[in-house]
Amino acid sequence: MSSDIERRELFKIAAATAYAAKFGVAQEQQRFFTPQEFVVVDELAEIIIPADDHSPGARAAGAAAYIDARLAESREADKKALWRKGVQLVNQVSLQMHGKTFLETAPAQRAAVVERMAQNEEEPKSPEEMFFKELKRATVNAYYTSKIGIHQEMEYKGNVMLNQFVGTELP
Amino acid sequence: MPAPTERDVDLKRTYDAVVVGSGAAGGMAAHVLTSHGMKVLLLEAGKKLDIEKELKSMEWPYEHPRRGGLPPDSHALSRNEYTFRKPPYAKGLPNKHVYSYVEGWSGADYSKNIVVDEKDNPYTGTNYAWVRARCLGGKTNIWGRLALRLSDYDFKAASRDGYGEDWPISYTDIAPYYDKVDLYLGIAGHPENLPYLPDSLFQRSTRLNTAEVKLRESLAGMGRVLTPYRAGVTTDGLKHNKYRSRCFGRGACDRHTGGCDIHAAFDSPTGLIYPAMDTGNLTLRTNSTVYEVLVDKNTGKARGVAFVDSQTGKNYEAKAKVVVLGASTLESARLMLLSKSRFHPNGIGNSSGHVGHNFCEHIMGPSVTGLVKELVGKPRTLDDGRPAGFYVPRFRNLADRQSNFIRGYGFEGDSGTHMFPGHASSTPGFGAAYKKKVRDYAGAFISMGAFGEVLPRYENYVDIDANVKDRWGIPVLRFHYHFGDNEKKMAADMADTAREMFVAAGIEIIGVDRDTLPEGWSIHELGTSRMGNDSKTSVLNQFQQSHDVPNLLVVDGSSHVNASCQNPTWTIMALCWRSCDHLADQVQKGEV
Repeated sequence: MSSDIERRELFKIAAATAYAAKFGVAQEQQRFFTPQEFVVVDELAEIIIPADDHSPGARAAGAAAYIDARLAESREADKKALWRKGVQLVNQVSLQMHGKTFLETAPAQRAAVVERMAQNEEEPKSPEEMFFKELKRATVNAYYTSKIGIHQEMEYKGNVMLNQFVGTELP
Repeated sequence: MPAPTERDVDLKRTYDAVVVGSGAAGGMAAHVLTSHGMKVLLLEAGKKLDIEKELKSMEWPYEHPRRGGLPPDSHALSRNEYTFRKPPYAKGLPNKHVYSYVEGWSGADYSKNIVVDEKDNPYTGTNYAWVRARCLGGKTNIWGRLALRLSDYDFKAASRDGYGEDWPISYTDIAPYYDKVDLYLGIAGHPENLPYLPDSLFQRSTRLNTAEVKLRESLAGMGRVLTPYRAGVTTDGLKHNKYRSRCFGRGACDRHTGGCDIHAAFDSPTGLIYPAMDTGNLTLRTNSTVYEVLVDKNTGKARGVAFVDSQTGKNYEAKAKVVVLGASTLESARLMLLSKSRFHPNGIGNSSGHVGHNFCEHIMGPSVTGLVKELVGKPRTLDDGRPAGFYVPRFRNLADRQSNFIRGYGFEGDSGTHMFPGHASSTPGFGAAYKKKVRDYAGAFISMGAFGEVLPRYENYVDIDANVKDRWGIPVLRFHYHFGDNEKKMAADMADTAREMFVAAGIEIIGVDRDTLPEGWSIHELGTSRMGNDSKTSVLNQFQQSHDVPNLLVVDGSSHVNASCQNPTWTIMALCWRSCDHLADQVQKGEV
């Protein structure tokens, strides 16, 4: 029995690793998420802030790794439980909608899962809606404080020495 | 320029003056008294930090392991905790360090050694978000830098509307000292010639961006003013100060919790204390927590202070001819109330029973955020390369008379692009369309929030809670403090006028926040030892000298008779300069 579970776990890990290789996810730093969880979070982050013709997205910015590192050192048990449970909920919603776990579905179906979770973003009620709120907060935080987020996406021009202030000089 | 070498502390000698606290008030007292040739011992409860190493003003978020956030064993108190729990707020929390709410902001890792650990520094009583900094320079290391003058609309407010007391001074008494502060420390701003917000002797002003100019022009039509933030920052440099650079618009003061590692923004160590040390007249002792003003057992006059070394726990006495308190409005009150003796059974300088009372500050919370539609999708601009955005001075109860509240409020605001797009979390949705919207809207928001006068009331006070002690065994302060009806009605008006001004300017309203923030949020506590001509109803005379004990001065915000609605730091320093000039004159004549 236990060896059966182990085999299944190993299979999942292998699948996640293969997926990670396909999407170029760095696996070595992760500390809080299991390899499977990490791949799910990485994919969710990229769905929230994807690469487009303007700049790379959350995956390239390493958002999942940043979130993972913060959770690994966090002392907030509630927050850790929210993320652990949250990834399970993503799979549950996916099974309900598509009959497959999140990573087994096609990209459009994954986006539909996120759409479902995001439907009450203003006032989240269900556990998966609450998780989306936290997932988006963390992704936004990680992405827009990253090198890619600040320089490529937002083209931020500040944090430099200016000889004169920018703007309108009043008469 | 490195800090000057410190002189050896000699606790056997009697100094001309001992100054308690090294923030805006204590630093200014040290500067002025040493400039008159007096030998001064300056005691600071906290550490001397290697401040440039703390602040790292130019560090990018991604160069910091937690993008500027606090370590995981630390906790910053939230608005909810200040609302739903009672002080001492850190009690029972499992975290290694607990800080006030300011450490909940991004970039707070740069100020965690500046502010106090609430675990070591408890207080009790009613809810109050008390922010304290214990280190050389105190809160001036992280202050918001808005540097405003008061006017006779404030000093003579009681005569105008019948509430409370007038100050024992007029604008003409303090104006020359505002000038001295402006010239010695540097201030940026744009002259507006307003009787209720007098101009300073300004250095080069910061500039307004498109959205702000649009609002300024619209407000002018309503008889209201939007002016570039009057910043206590030297924008042209100060030839007489080798420790401070001029401002280079790096914008760090906007991103980190205060702090300027080139000291263009005023801080007490580089602005006041280091130059005072260079006179050879100033001796500094940090890690020195004063817990009692000592009195002569024959005369009842102050003879020095007792303090505990906050690192070793050892107790010491320092002797001086004059004791000058600048420990902050609440800490100075605590120290006076703790200093009981045969002569001063209710605490030193407290024969009136007013020490700790008439405690006032600024009420905050109501704010507005709007969108300037024509800026959506425009090429990126640089808007945060300046100390801060704009200020809308008070416009209520000047020529008009509001039916349901007295006094006034002003707004601090900001707009345009910042390093972090604050609207990204509140912009709904996800995916490519979401990402593009965050990008397109980044420079198009404008927001402002109000600071209003909280009336001084005898019933709002602090006293000593003998049952609770801080880490050094010193009894703590207990708060008895609530906003009143005038503040609540004023707050409702703040939200209404904020909306009205944005609508009039054609700015689309994104949100109006009508809620007030918890008591204490403004970090502008004032008035616990007010000045006055009547020793029965006031603690200090017009030169911040105790009515009871002529060689005791209280030169911080304690002395303010009302809070006005303007930020207090510049007034604290101008008053202190005036009082210390007067003190030095008295000392020279042998009158103290």
